[in-house]
Amino acid sequence: MTMARVQSPPVLTPNKITRSYSGQAAELRALKNKISGHVQYKEQWVEKGVLETIVNTLQSSTNGKEATSYATGSDELTVLCLQILASISSGGSSFLGPLHAVKAVEVALSYISPSQNSPRVVLTALRIICNMTEATSGAPPGHDDLNRLADTLFGPQYLGSLHAILIQPSAGSVIQEQKRLVSRLIAWLCNKDEDHQIHQNALTDAGILDALATMLASFIVARGEVIPGAQDAAIQDGLADMIPEPAPPGACLASTLEAISTIILNSRFRCFMFIYSPAIMAVLPLIEFAPASTEPSASAAAGKSYGAMDFLLPRIPISQTKSSSSQLPQSQPSQVSHNASSNKRSQTYKFTGLNPACEDLDGDDPESPVVPWLIHLVRTTSGFERVAAASLLTSLFKSGLTNPSREEELACLVVPPLCALVKEHMKDTPPSIQQATFIESGMATDWAILEKTPEVLARLVGGSETLQAAAQESGIIKTTTKLLKDAYEPMAKPLVPRPWTPNPDRNMDSDEKSPSCQLGPPGHVPLYTHKIKMRLSTLVLVAGMGAERDDYRKELASQDLVPFIVASLAARPGKPQSPKEKSASEKEEKEGAETSAYGHNPTSVILAACHALRCLGRSVSVLRTTFLDHNVWQHVNKLMKHPDLRVQIAACSVVINLLASCSPMIEPLFQAGILKVLCEQAHSHEPGLRLNAVWALRHLVLEVDDSRKKQILEELEPGWLIQLLSDDTSEEDRQQRSTDADDDEDMDAEATDEEEPHLWTWLGMDGNAKRISSPRMQKAAARLTALRQADRNPARKARNDTIRIQEQALCFIRNFIMNPNKAEDQSKLVDYLFLELGEGRLFGILTNKLKMRVVGAYGRKHSKGRDTAVVLQPRDGIIEQITYILVHIAASIPRHRQLVVAQTELLKLLVNHFDSDSVGVRRALCHLYANLSVQEDSDDWHHCIQRTSELERLGVLLKLQGLENGDADLDVRERAKAAVAQFKTPTVS
Amino acid sequence: MSNWQAFQQGHLDPDFAFREHIFAQFRQAAQRQSQAGPMNSSTATAAPKHAFEVRLGDTKTPKNDINALILDYLTMEGYPGAAANFSKEANLAPQQEDPSIKTRQEIQHAIHSGDIETAITALNDLDPDILDKDPELHFSLLRLQLVELIRQCYGGDIGPALDFATQQVAPRASMNEQFRIDLERAMSLLFFDHDSKLSPELQALLSSDLRRKTATKVNEAVLVRQDQRREAAIRALVRMRAWAESSARSSKKKDLPSDLDIGLNGENAVEFQELTETNGHEPMITT
Repeated sequence: MTMARVQSPPVLTPNKITRSYSGQAAELRALKNKISGHVQYKEQWVEKGVLETIVNTLQSSTNGKEATSYATGSDELTVLCLQILASISSGGSSFLGPLHAVKAVEVALSYISPSQNSPRVVLTALRIICNMTEATSGAPPGHDDLNRLADTLFGPQYLGSLHAILIQPSAGSVIQEQKRLVSRLIAWLCNKDEDHQIHQNALTDAGILDALATMLASFIVARGEVIPGAQDAAIQDGLADMIPEPAPPGACLASTLEAISTIILNSRFRCFMFIYSPAIMAVLPLIEFAPASTEPSASAAAGKSYGAMDFLLPRIPISQTKSSSSQLPQSQPSQVSHNASSNKRSQTYKFTGLNPACEDLDGDDPESPVVPWLIHLVRTTSGFERVAAASLLTSLFKSGLTNPSREEELACLVVPPLCALVKEHMKDTPPSIQQATFIESGMATDWAILEKTPEVLARLVGGSETLQAAAQESGIIKTTTKLLKDAYEPMAKPLVPRPWTPNPDRNMDSDEKSPSCQLGPPGHVPLYTHKIKMRLSTLVLVAGMGAERDDYRKELASQDLVPFIVASLAARPGKPQSPKEKSASEKEEKEGAETSAYGHNPTSVILAACHALRCLGRSVSVLRTTFLDHNVWQHVNKLMKHPDLRVQIAACSVVINLLASCSPMIEPLFQAGILKVLCEQAHSHEPGLRLNAVWALRHLVLEVDDSRKKQILEELEPGWLIQLLSDDTSEEDRQQRSTDADDDEDMDAEATDEEEPHLWTWLGMDGNAKRISSPRMQKAAARLTALRQADRNPARKARNDTIRIQEQALCFIRNFIMNPNKAEDQSKLVDYLFLELGEGRLFGILTNKLKMRVVGAYGRKHSKGRDTAVVLQPRDGIIEQITYILVHIAASIPRHRQLVVAQTELLKLLVNHFDSDSVGVRRALCHLYANLSVQEDSDDWHHCIQRTSELERLGVLLKLQGLENGDADLDVRERAKAAVAQFKTPTVS
Repeated sequence: MSNWQAFQQGHLDPDFAFREHIFAQFRQAAQRQSQAGPMNSSTATAAPKHAFEVRLGDTKTPKNDINALILDYLTMEGYPGAAANFSKEANLAPQQEDPSIKTRQEIQHAIHSGDIETAITALNDLDPDILDKDPELHFSLLRLQLVELIRQCYGGDIGPALDFATQQVAPRASMNEQFRIDLERAMSLLFFDHDSKLSPELQALLSSDLRRKTATKVNEAVLVRQDQRREAAIRALVRMRAWAESSARSSKKKDLPSDLDIGLNGENAVEFQELTETNGHEPMITT
């Protein structure tokens, strides 16, 4: 009786030709009604091979009357087939296999073009993609590759359709849902990894960012928050037609914000692309605003002009005491460091949300009113909209598009409500949820907020002490701890349970079935997926809070977080335990069967755990206590040989701090053979790994005795060190040129040709004469072009990597010859170094590093008058390291001092840097010249006079006196004073 | 007034007249208030006017807003005919495209009359995604269908009811504790006489309340899925008024008249009072 219900449906029979159109439709409709909401029926039908039939029907129905079907509205069959696919795809992860076997993604995507299909068809096709995305993200390891889906969806074939969907003018609910799904898919699937910006760039170039920005502008209009006078300004700039209609009721603000935020993440160019989007420029122009009634003194006193948007925000008393502007690391006074091992971070690799590649970009753009509008939006929205608004705001803040004074406002107006949001939505999970396959919308919203907010907060506060303080005062550390601990609550059954079935004896002869009929493994229950996401986002927040201040690191460590972070290092974590518990429980039982209760950590969680450890490890006291107790070094050392390169890089970044001075883990790591691993990694092709490895070695080499120092240099290979240092033409660049020869220079040249109008769309210059002649638009266009070039230039990134590796390599040398105990030993080390590297070669390299370089001028066959060459000044870090190498050489014996003074060209180049912006450089120079003018003993007297006169000839004394009298930094003034005194009366050291 | 016309056109269920009556009252009351101004309101007695009431009298309530509120109620609650007529009458643009509101009403009607299968099919046509995405909604519909089947086969062959329970309801009940309890309760109807001796829980299943609740649930779910408000604006407005009054009374400034009438002091004042109760859904729907 029961099986009768699932007999082969008529539609499965192959004689479709004789079958009438209406007959087919009726059958399909019956099938759809049957399976909607019934997982078991879906399973039965899929096992009977319904998927292939549906796809065939779909194709024949479309092929037959492709042109007419939309026009006549007779796309009933197509809609029904797609609806059946959508229904099956919502059945969960076990349907992914069969769906992929019939190429459901590609089939669905062929129906998303709104110009060729009816709105309903497009919507249903999008639903299939969304359902499959959801199923994939809950699938067991091995089936959960969202990137593959993303690569298909954001491939060139479909970008046009996605764009077309977003620019549909209709306010109808079907269209709005289409837009909502597309925005959600972008936020969901677009790869956010800093190193893989292909999706983000593709979406920007296809005009999708512009379309989303236009949608956002329509919300500004709907909220009545268009800047007064915008209309007139827009008419002047030819943007009058860009002011959109108000957003219709069904439009979704949160997903629009989220999608934009995702696309612009980690790129200044894309951020500017967003704020220069014509609709945004039209709705929120930069206009001087003088309100009639407010007191003018307030704004005048603060010394800044307020735009109209700022009047929507409450005034924040500006505190005078602390101000560390995160987005301008150059302007920060560098830390005092006499020995090079001090745990200084100029630029950490990969994990900063900051793009270090803004070398020649000036920051003189006035801030866009989008920024205050977003702050206002955060304040006036609630729930997920608030998080999404904060996310977009954060993306702009991190790319330096906000005024420095905003930091205080963010600390008062944005961080506390975000922290409160997390607390508000942190609820106990009722036991009934444990196994539930369906989460009601209230809880689903809670979860979404909990998953997203810590990540946004982490990005926001990551580089700023002010913002971290605001978050800490809001109690975020305790909250984070609780969230992470909750995420490790064991789960008995993380997999979707099988429902009771009335036909238990259904024969499962799965052997001979085709893949389209064979169901895959069940997925995870939503709670499990939620927990894994919570691990990720809380670990990211731990790293964000631990990034700057030692007291926060200690506070984090004191919360018993470390066992959970350590557990997150393992793909299959056991029970997170403190060391005491562990030793107790190990006696009782071997961990085994129950480990599955803690799930499976994907790579992203492992990476986040490494990053959290790295940040906590910046605190010496945490290193010496908590880290030692939990044997962090052992766990991290295991990861150093992980098959995934990204994990290796992250693990190596932890090792950097584990090897810092005062760390008790240096010896055990050395014993465990870390040296060999690091030296291997220093030879890696991956610049990130090379950087971290050289960095770690630089720490290691400072902390060991002289024989080990030599061992390290030997293992690293002096020749390789030279190569790392002398490589100025950016080795990555060259590699690329040699490996993919066919798309090398020709492609490059071609790209330059076409670049301007076609490869990317900016609606700002689309032929409207008034717009083209508007100075504001012209400026924006020029800015975008320049930014785009900087952003998309792979050579630039490679160059950056090279320079940073070189800085570490120089520091390695500096630390190598450093011996705090005896000048004699130091001189031996210097001699050893000269022997291994070659004295002349070393000085030659150092001299070269100080010279200006011109890059990018080669290989341009037809650059069409556009000058792509960039003049590179040596970076402060490089200058500082070179100076300290010389300081150390000069600190040993007179012979070495003589050698240094003999490097006239090198010294000449250095003298130029006395007026450097960097305190560190100026201080180092004072050191150097003080050291050079030291008289060792009476024999040295003659030489010493020679040295000082030589230095005087180079103008050193004048410069030093200048520093003595006028430097902003007290320490530099003191050191200059000492150096000047030394110069005038050289004393015996 | 065209309420009876609309009713006679057959678009509406019988309680339409009742609703229209309430709206008429509501409109009149609002009008009275806006016209009252400095003069005595219709409720005024000889007592001196409280400062609050004077302010209240000064407040102008634009007729358009009131009309929009009424149209909103009709649209959201699923009365397409009345909404269409009203918008014509009040010269307002219709709020929503027609098909959805009509289908929603059909679904409501089907559920109210116990034809759950039709309702499910229609719901599936309206929003093919909803049953897959909202298993709870689907389950409550299926349970209602089961109850209807049990009602039909009461005293006769219980085969269809059993079959339906096994095939459709039981598999999903096995996945969720609450579903299982609901199913068991519904099944126990098979073993008892459907008379007044039935336990209150079981009687609740047989009463028309279950249909009504399920219908409301469906309506709300459809609206939420269209990313709309789930209820008419007036419900929120009345709740807000109740909240405002109670917070004003609990605050230190007791500058309020002792008794604040909702302003609809016609004969239907009682019904509106009910609306202000915590759960504002059911009281409105009285047959």
